[in-house]
Amino acid sequence: MPKILGIDLGTTNSAMAIVENGEPKIIENQEGNRTTHSVTAINKSGERLVGLLAKRQAVTNPKNTISSVKRLIGRKFSDSEVQHDKKLLPYEIKESSSGGVEIKMADRWYKPEEISAMVLAKLKADAESKTGEKIEKAVITVPAYFDDSQRQATKNAGEIAGLKVERILNEPTAAALAYGLTKKKDEQIVVYDFGGGTFDVSVLEIAEDTVEVKATGGDTHLGGDDFDKKIIDYLVIEYKKQEGIDISKDPLALQRLREAAERAKHELSVSLETEINLPYVSSDASGPKHFLMKLTRAKLESLVMDEIERSIKLTKETVKSAGFEMKDVDEIILVGGQTRMPAMQEAVKKAFGKEPHKGVNPDEVVAVGAAIQAEILAAKEEGRKPAGEVKDVLLLDVTPLAFSIETFGGVATPMIPKNTTVPTAKTQIFSTAADNQTSVEIHIVQGERAMAADNKTLARFILDGIPTSPRGVPQIEVTFDIDANGILSVSAKDKATGKSQSVKIEASTSLSKDEVERLKNEAAQYSEQDLKKREIAETRNQADSLLYLVEKTLKENADKITEELKNEITKKNDALKIAKDSNDINAIKTATSELSTELQKIGKQMYNKEDGGSKPDKGS
Amino acid sequence: MLGDEEKNDKAEEYLNGWKRAQADLINYKKDEAGRLEGVLKFGNESILMEIISVTDSFDFALASMEKTGPVEKGICLIKTQIDDLLKRHGIEKIFAKAGDVFNPAMHEAIATAEVSEQSGTIVEEIESGYTLHGKVVRPARVRVSK
Repeated sequence: MPKILGIDLGTTNSAMAIVENGEPKIIENQEGNRTTHSVTAINKSGERLVGLLAKRQAVTNPKNTISSVKRLIGRKFSDSEVQHDKKLLPYEIKESSSGGVEIKMADRWYKPEEISAMVLAKLKADAESKTGEKIEKAVITVPAYFDDSQRQATKNAGEIAGLKVERILNEPTAAALAYGLTKKKDEQIVVYDFGGGTFDVSVLEIAEDTVEVKATGGDTHLGGDDFDKKIIDYLVIEYKKQEGIDISKDPLALQRLREAAERAKHELSVSLETEINLPYVSSDASGPKHFLMKLTRAKLESLVMDEIERSIKLTKETVKSAGFEMKDVDEIILVGGQTRMPAMQEAVKKAFGKEPHKGVNPDEVVAVGAAIQAEILAAKEEGRKPAGEVKDVLLLDVTPLAFSIETFGGVATPMIPKNTTVPTAKTQIFSTAADNQTSVEIHIVQGERAMAADNKTLARFILDGIPTSPRGVPQIEVTFDIDANGILSVSAKDKATGKSQSVKIEASTSLSKDEVERLKNEAAQYSEQDLKKREIAETRNQADSLLYLVEKTLKENADKITEELKNEITKKNDALKIAKDSNDINAIKTATSELSTELQKIGKQMYNKEDGGSKPDKGS
Repeated sequence: MLGDEEKNDKAEEYLNGWKRAQADLINYKKDEAGRLEGVLKFGNESILMEIISVTDSFDFALASMEKTGPVEKGICLIKTQIDDLLKRHGIEKIFAKAGDVFNPAMHEAIATAEVSEQSGTIVEEIESGYTLHGKVVRPARVRVSK
């Protein structure tokens, strides 16, 4: 079945995605990047370049390098936006015979949709080579404010590129789809899209099976690129103050500064301070000059605060024009890489009084939504359920809490951790805790607490008939098996005799939602205390094993150990026995380690004896 | 109770679903293996890029240093060690020199120059470029004739 490609055709960058195995997946372009520059060029030898390659040669070929064509597509030449952009664009445009826009590239005049088609054709070709499948259909996104003519022109661009455009989808709707919000009835959603060069805000209303755009707003010339420019300008001015040198004219210094500034911007999204360190950035008569400057998050924020505040003001106006109050808005979605900036997230949160959604990569969320729409359309065409929703029907359960078995000292040893997808099974070998133990009790508990007693008991059973043997020797194989219906079966088998016992626990995963929540909260609340209890239990277990080993060693080697060492060991042995019953974990640990040291001396003495009856080692 | 035919249909449906799930898993494993290979090859790209920007600074320092004494030679050797390290991890330098034809697949033009040479040729390499296992991770930044 042919795939339908989801395409976010952006002003500065584009991205594409498909749904595979029910999961939307971004497709990388030929250069291995998840987004593609929306730039097209024709170079001196008449070769057509798209994306990164077009961008890399833009400086040498500005008149034949076309960017931001989305600002022109489907508009009249007389449109005020076009007239405004005309002054900013490095390439030539003119009015076409039908009143639209035409763009000059190399020696020919192109319609904006022909230029967009070149970007789309690259995306199509790259997607085909990555997926190994022919791609003939696409869903393409456009801003919510695009009018009929802009939508039609975008559709035409797709057709020119050899793609049947199955749907022109609004970008904010795509973002809502990516977050699965379109299934929520009667909700007001605001999509705050701060792109590289444009800022769009949209108010959506989700009704029965429809997504209605109630209002759109923003600024077509406000974006993350402005932020980068502000940072670089600031650094250049500061450097001039410090060293008296203007590095803005030095292309190498500026290039290094641009990279450092971008890195600093990203770093300041996670840390509060960063350092821009560029040795040998320039020189004067006195020798080489270095660039060393601290940049704090506060400083960065103060540089761009005006822009952020402006975006919030525009957002408020848009919500108002939709006929809503800020508090009526149910969900807020952040789109665009710049929204990773903490100050921006904070400003949005403050304006709405609630946390915005930000789980999906903000650079990719629109393409992801387009892919989901594509999958819905593909499914309809093929008369099947969309892959994502098939999963809903066939939804495989996960275990809400861990299933554990009680082991020595009352510890809950997890067999199946929480959030494991069922059906699943897990087998582990356990043993006995005492000599000549002929039966073991299998105590099955459910919960997140460290000690078995604090969790919910599901079942207990006894496996007996274990042949008498020292502790730790028998091998008891315990299997936990949860089937697709959440029914847990536990079996225990003695590997020596093959004797086994089992129990089936129905509805074990169907704890009520409240109960699961309560158990989870309890686990979080007691986690520290529980860990201590568990640590004590484990330390005691170690002490116990050591005591057992000492007893056994003394018995087996009674004749080979000096009386002196025997007394010393017995003393330490008694000390550990006392410590073990206390709750002082450090005392148990110290006593264990002292006894262990003494015990090692036995081995030493025995080896010395075997080495030809040399004297027992005293003292050391 | 279901009729025989219905039972067969159900069985068929479940069998197909199960086969599909198995196939999905196998395909997923294959994709995952491919992805892992990519991660192994390019997983350290970001740290290598940061080391490269340090070696850039190193180059500037070396260029402004007298290269006579043994101490200076030692520092040059340290630079060679770093270059070797990068090479072992798949980093190769892109050679761009004056007179080469500008190729945006390898080079990025960051400035132009009015010179007598044919337009579209490199006048000067401003910053070195690098490839990692054949993929351009940083184009050579060059000045190109107008």
